[in-house]
Amino acid sequence: MQNLLLDVKGLETQFKTPDGVVHAVNGVSFGLKESETVGVVGESGCGKSVTMLSVLGLIPSPPGKVVAGQAFFFGQDLLKMSNEEIRHVRGAQIGMVFQDPMTSLNPVLTIGRQLEEPLMLHIGMTRNQARERAAELLGMVGIPNAKDRLNDYPHQYSGGMSQRVMIAMALSCSPQILIADEPTTALDVTIQAQIVDLVKRLRDELGMAVIWITHDLGVVAGFAERVMVMYGGYIIEESPVNLLYGNPQHPYTIGLLGSLPRVDERKHEKLYSIEGAPPILYQKPKACPFAPRCKWAMDRCWKENPMLEVVEPEHRVACWVDTKTGRSRA
Amino acid sequence: MVNYIIRRLLLVPLLLFGVTILIFGMLQFLTPVERSALYVREIPKNERQIEGIILKYGLDKPLYVQYWRWLVGTTDQVTGERNGGILFGDFGWSRTGGQPVATLIKNRFPNTLDLTLWAVGPVILVGIWLGVQAAVHHNGFADQAGRIFSIVGTSFPTFVFGLLMLMIFYANLQWFPPGRLSTEASIVVNSESFKTYTSLLTIDSLLNGRFDIFIDTLRHMILPILTLSYISWATFLRVTRSSMLETLRQDYVTTARAKGLPERDVIYKHARPNAMISVITLAGFTVVGLMGGVVITETVFDYPGIGKAAAEAAGQLDVVTVLGFALFNGLILIVANVVVDILYAFVDPRVRLS
Repeated sequence: MQNLLLDVKGLETQFKTPDGVVHAVNGVSFGLKESETVGVVGESGCGKSVTMLSVLGLIPSPPGKVVAGQAFFFGQDLLKMSNEEIRHVRGAQIGMVFQDPMTSLNPVLTIGRQLEEPLMLHIGMTRNQARERAAELLGMVGIPNAKDRLNDYPHQYSGGMSQRVMIAMALSCSPQILIADEPTTALDVTIQAQIVDLVKRLRDELGMAVIWITHDLGVVAGFAERVMVMYGGYIIEESPVNLLYGNPQHPYTIGLLGSLPRVDERKHEKLYSIEGAPPILYQKPKACPFAPRCKWAMDRCWKENPMLEVVEPEHRVACWVDTKTGRSRA
Repeated sequence: MVNYIIRRLLLVPLLLFGVTILIFGMLQFLTPVERSALYVREIPKNERQIEGIILKYGLDKPLYVQYWRWLVGTTDQVTGERNGGILFGDFGWSRTGGQPVATLIKNRFPNTLDLTLWAVGPVILVGIWLGVQAAVHHNGFADQAGRIFSIVGTSFPTFVFGLLMLMIFYANLQWFPPGRLSTEASIVVNSESFKTYTSLLTIDSLLNGRFDIFIDTLRHMILPILTLSYISWATFLRVTRSSMLETLRQDYVTTARAKGLPERDVIYKHARPNAMISVITLAGFTVVGLMGGVVITETVFDYPGIGKAAAEAAGQLDVVTVLGFALFNGLILIVANVVVDILYAFVDPRVRLS
């Protein structure tokens, strides 16, 4: 196996709530190669964001807690680092972009000030150097009159522009990994495409690895090399992007793909949707967490939770059912 | 920014107009005889004189004539002497104070201001600090202690608290006296050699180099300060805490952490300025609330400020004096609001630039 840039093993994260302990991430393992782009897909509440926030130690604690797992990054376990140590990884070696650009920038600080911060902190630039670099970065993400716009406040930027700023900020210290947590969800469709193109371009120019969290399989298709589908805090299918779209195995993945609107679809046909909502797990599930929404569910699905198994080279699925035949695997 | 401030300042005359209309309206509930007190400089000797005043100042004329006279007063044709006119600071004669209302305010207000500044300053500085600490160490010891203090603080009526203070520290322990100054100190203060700079005794005593007078003043002020400010302590702590907790949950705080900023910078550079926006509103309310609080506090501690004077006037139905104070309070309220609005603009660019 090629050397992994990020190697996450058995990650488990829980939240204490008044209703009980919520098991948000239940033993997630994945690897990320250098310069690789991975899409993480699933509905809201599947544990995608929490997984990534856990890796960076950004889970609000309390109530959240990473209870198990390792996350190796350059041979060091991020989960065992002190606050002070992981601080030098965040923003410097792993950059992160969030879902809602309008609330992710600090309203009372200028864009320039917010862009300068990581440069001064991690690279040790002076204020003037940082200012100059900040203008370059703004230009890089396609904001015109970058120098003047450094003095603006976030409310003077549109949503798309704010997201560009967030991307510039995340990439300011040339990180090895960019984690993008649904960066296009809060934007309108034309802007979404621009942001995806921007990240694609920057990835090709700067060569960082990208983890792209989304619930939109369409966005991932033309962009990622590998896709992980998450459900109920588990990775339930993982494969190279062409295999996933050509040969989806897990009922949930099939459902997700089926609920994509298609251009060639007949008119007046209702868009397919998966009934129900993802579960909130107050216990570690003993059955398959997807069983209640699955039309293929068999007896075994209600009794045992399937683990990821290789079904073809580089393609792993956690399901008891062979969805091609409708019969049990093995 | 300049535009914004000018717009706010332009509002002041408008608001003042509203306040005068309100107070003038209340004055109309009085008989012309009672209203004549607005225009005298000394106690009338007989009823004839009062009738003369009613005629002279047109207290039987239509309302708009009266309102205008009330605003600008009248000028005596013969002597050219101006009488009345709140725009010129003439609020009429205070029966209970035995002097013009304006003079009464001028004499008493510095004492009240002295008290209020000492009450509000520490509250704003320390209260905000405590509130932020409570939020940062959410559910920690400081937070719990602060919460208990806040609940007790906000549920304790001022007059009960004041009387308790008086009972414990004055009557039983005899640590702090009521009033404004000890006899010895007031002899010094009223002497020629004691120069008046600001009329605020705490500051003037220091400027005169009389540290003993400063201590004497403070000793008299401590109980009123505590009584006046304990509710503000409680509310400041609570509001700062909840505002800060709310802010710490915001996305941009996560962004700041994701950038690798040290927690200190996350809290003090990213979160606190945002949390201050709602605290500033509270600061405005607090100043206004304190102006109400001084009436009770000054009365309980026999402290010679405008609150006590207003209470005395109200007790003897000296409506002219009470309304004079109301007008003055309205002015303070408006000024406080404008200051708050301008502070907003400093803290929040969304206000400044829109």
